[in-house]
Amino acid sequence: MDEYKKFLADRLLSDEQPITYRLLSRALGIHVNTAKEMLYDYHTYQNGIKAESIHATYVVYGTKTQSSTAGDGDVEMSSSMPEHEPLSETVPTTTLTLVRQENLEAALAEYQEVVSIHVYSLAPGPQRDVSLLYDVAKSLSEFSSKEDPLTAGEKYGTIRNLNVRRRDRQARPKPGSSTSQPTKAQPAKAQPAKAQPVVPIKAEPAASKKPSPFEVAAAAAKLKKQPSSQTPPSSETPASSAGKPAPALKRGGSGGIMQSFAKTKPPKPKPEPKKEEDTEMALSDDGEADDEDIAKEKAEYKDSDAVRKSRKQREEELRRMMEEDDEEEKSEEDPADEEMEEAPEPEPEPEEEPKAKEEEKEPTEITTTSNGRRRGRRKVMKKERVMDEQGYLVTIQKPGWESFSEDEAPPPKKPATASSVSSTPASSAGKAKKPTGKGAQGNIMSFFAKKS
Amino acid sequence: MVSLNDVAGSLLQKPTDSAHTVGTRTDSQYKPLTTFNLSHQRSYQQQYGDMYFLRLTKIKPAVEEVAAAAWEDTVIGDERAKQVERVLDVRQGELCWVVGTVYMNLQNKPNILEDVSKDRWISKPDPVHKYFKEDETEEIMLEDDSGRIRLVGDILHKIGLATGCIMAVMGTENSNGELEVIDVKFPDMPPQPERWALSGQPGTQGNGVKKVKGEDEEMSGQTGGKRKKVAIVSGLAFSGSDASYALELELLLEFLLGEVLSPDAQSELSEISRLIVAGNSISGSDVKPVTEEDKNKNKKYGYDASAYNAVPSQLFDDFLAEILASIPVTLFPGPQDPANSSYPQQPIHPAMFPNAREYTNAPGSKEPGWLDIVTNPWEGEIDGWRALGTGGQNVDDVYKYVKSEDRLGMMEAMCRWRCCAPTAPDTLWSYPFQDDDPFVLKDCPHIYFVGCQPEFGTKVVSGPADQSVRLITVPSFSATKEIVLVDTETLEVTKVQITTA
Repeated sequence: MDEYKKFLADRLLSDEQPITYRLLSRALGIHVNTAKEMLYDYHTYQNGIKAESIHATYVVYGTKTQSSTAGDGDVEMSSSMPEHEPLSETVPTTTLTLVRQENLEAALAEYQEVVSIHVYSLAPGPQRDVSLLYDVAKSLSEFSSKEDPLTAGEKYGTIRNLNVRRRDRQARPKPGSSTSQPTKAQPAKAQPAKAQPVVPIKAEPAASKKPSPFEVAAAAAKLKKQPSSQTPPSSETPASSAGKPAPALKRGGSGGIMQSFAKTKPPKPKPEPKKEEDTEMALSDDGEADDEDIAKEKAEYKDSDAVRKSRKQREEELRRMMEEDDEEEKSEEDPADEEMEEAPEPEPEPEEEPKAKEEEKEPTEITTTSNGRRRGRRKVMKKERVMDEQGYLVTIQKPGWESFSEDEAPPPKKPATASSVSSTPASSAGKAKKPTGKGAQGNIMSFFAKKS
Repeated sequence: MVSLNDVAGSLLQKPTDSAHTVGTRTDSQYKPLTTFNLSHQRSYQQQYGDMYFLRLTKIKPAVEEVAAAAWEDTVIGDERAKQVERVLDVRQGELCWVVGTVYMNLQNKPNILEDVSKDRWISKPDPVHKYFKEDETEEIMLEDDSGRIRLVGDILHKIGLATGCIMAVMGTENSNGELEVIDVKFPDMPPQPERWALSGQPGTQGNGVKKVKGEDEEMSGQTGGKRKKVAIVSGLAFSGSDASYALELELLLEFLLGEVLSPDAQSELSEISRLIVAGNSISGSDVKPVTEEDKNKNKKYGYDASAYNAVPSQLFDDFLAEILASIPVTLFPGPQDPANSSYPQQPIHPAMFPNAREYTNAPGSKEPGWLDIVTNPWEGEIDGWRALGTGGQNVDDVYKYVKSEDRLGMMEAMCRWRCCAPTAPDTLWSYPFQDDDPFVLKDCPHIYFVGCQPEFGTKVVSGPADQSVRLITVPSFSATKEIVLVDTETLEVTKVQITTA
């Protein structure tokens, strides 16, 4: 019963933060009207213990006395006006006033009739500027953004509307706050289909795309063949675990991209993510529903061409987005893949990582090693754009040689991806073609990243 | 005079165990029209002249009817007034009447020919408060496709006129070649449709039902006897820098959601079935004018945070997303909103609202979106009443032509002129319409509201055929903190003011 008093004491007396009825209602998950009463109760209670320790603001709503609704000048005006026909009808005006407790009596005196009055907020000290409450109001999103407004509103006493229509979410992942949103959804969708080991993801947007592109691509490709093998529950895991940083992730940076290609692990126990889902609705506010929707969709139209096409598009998109995050991915390890840990590639400097790897896989002629720097030539895939007989521009990839030195900026990423694909156990011959396609895509982000 | 002890129904009490109820909002019967939507593949190659021709052709029969009825048997000094077809057919000394388009030449009015001859090429004209000046001589002319004639006469100064309205004048041409005006007539209000003409009355087998009927009928049972209101607000002016009314906006949000106030008042709030945002939702004060220096700076690739402040639109998006869970919204663009500036303004692109766009309708769907982003001006049916709304530019522009400050009077005049934007395309920038002038009112609205006005005002005007129009000027919330509530049964208007002390 008195739990709220403790909460309010913490907030007001210990943290010295003002609180509004809305914030209290969100924090405790109660109806706003109850929250208003609690604020009032606490106000009387606390000031009973120690006078003037808590200051309140009130909301007064009602009709003001006619003369006081208009300013002084207007009163005179209106009395001198009657000979003219007034330009506008006078209409009943209700006034909602937010007033500090010091001014409450004065404010009430202006009213002819008061329909309702309640405590709006409490603050630890006298509030000189009520507009500061705006900041409190803004912090409300910390509590409420995690919920679906449609269902949460009922709990808090928002007037509900039975006719609310929202657009079908599956068609359009919520653009949300960050661009990472769609990506987050995509791997989540691809993974369950393959019953892939669930890869914990870091909270930050970039890292949330941790599953390697190839793995996901492969997963997505497989998905076509065996859509029935999806395990929806696990689809929640990536999304929900994104909410809190997985502690395991911090276990050293020894892992390489190879780890993501580890053999399939048994999926994580399902109950756990389920539980998480309840408490952590928020982060998956949309992502989650999308996943499920998409998964459902997949099951429904297994083989229709249209779906396949759109799926391909999605994969394509996904792969592109994945590419952007190659760097981060490589520097992170996958804790789920323990067996891979015995064969990590020595990578002293994270920045060198992509390069080091690619050098191993490519025919490289090292000519110089002066100053500890390696120089030489290596084989790279070069893009060439030519016009064919029909006048179309065709981009072809040709192997070519390129000289490099170690302290030079690493070459474009294409070689790296191409080579790693070829060594990927997960990618079968049939799929090999896709990654190359992706290589041809080029990645503008890598361009910027390297330069800095 | 109220003291604290008198207040009943307050929440100044200890928390009770009884659960508080959650109100259910009344539904909104709503059918937008697409009168002012432009095609996506529109061309700007046409001449503006066609608009005047179209307007005159459309309105002329109505004026002629009114004028003929009034002047048919008018005899002044043994001479009987007779109609002449074209302005140039007016003969000196003959009493006649003629229909044409008004053109006003005012001292401060921008003049394209002058701009060209003086080699002025600025994209935005200097803001002018009024084109009209008390002691300046104004020239009023009447023109049609044949030519124009200057009008003189005292009566012209008694009535407010603006370029682009269509009227009939009776008089004689004097020796200076000017038409001495004795009387003028306007087309007056167009026919007013019945209530529920478009959407069909809920619960009955209304004729011409185009709306999803199932929904209407289903709902009518629950809302029987309940009053319904529509809230209209304009000039929310969400700003990234000016926080002086941020708390009032927050209170407005709580008000619309029905979270503030006590249970009785909350149930009253649930009668508000729709929110109309009539323009200027985003503050224009955050927009930095582009200086020469900015232009010469090297363009950065991609998003340049210094060139664009996204905070106002984000705040507005958050606001919308939050209230949309409880109340449907019709959103107009206004002069400061990110939409095209020429009339009719096209809907703000939903991409501006990453969160709230979830509530918009899917492209191509027939049903109005829960968040309906519409044109300015806009026409539609709200709870059966035909409504016409604008973001205010049309009134602001007519305001510059006349001496009067009476904006409701200007709105009334527009109804009587049968044109909701007479000064387009002269001083009110407009799309060069080719086939139709949508600003001509085909149907007389029941509610005509105009947003972004300096102060609130309302009145009811009536027309010759029992038309009755509720005119409302909606003030800017950022300035007055007022919102307007229209009862959709009686069309009575109330307003709510939000203050902090």
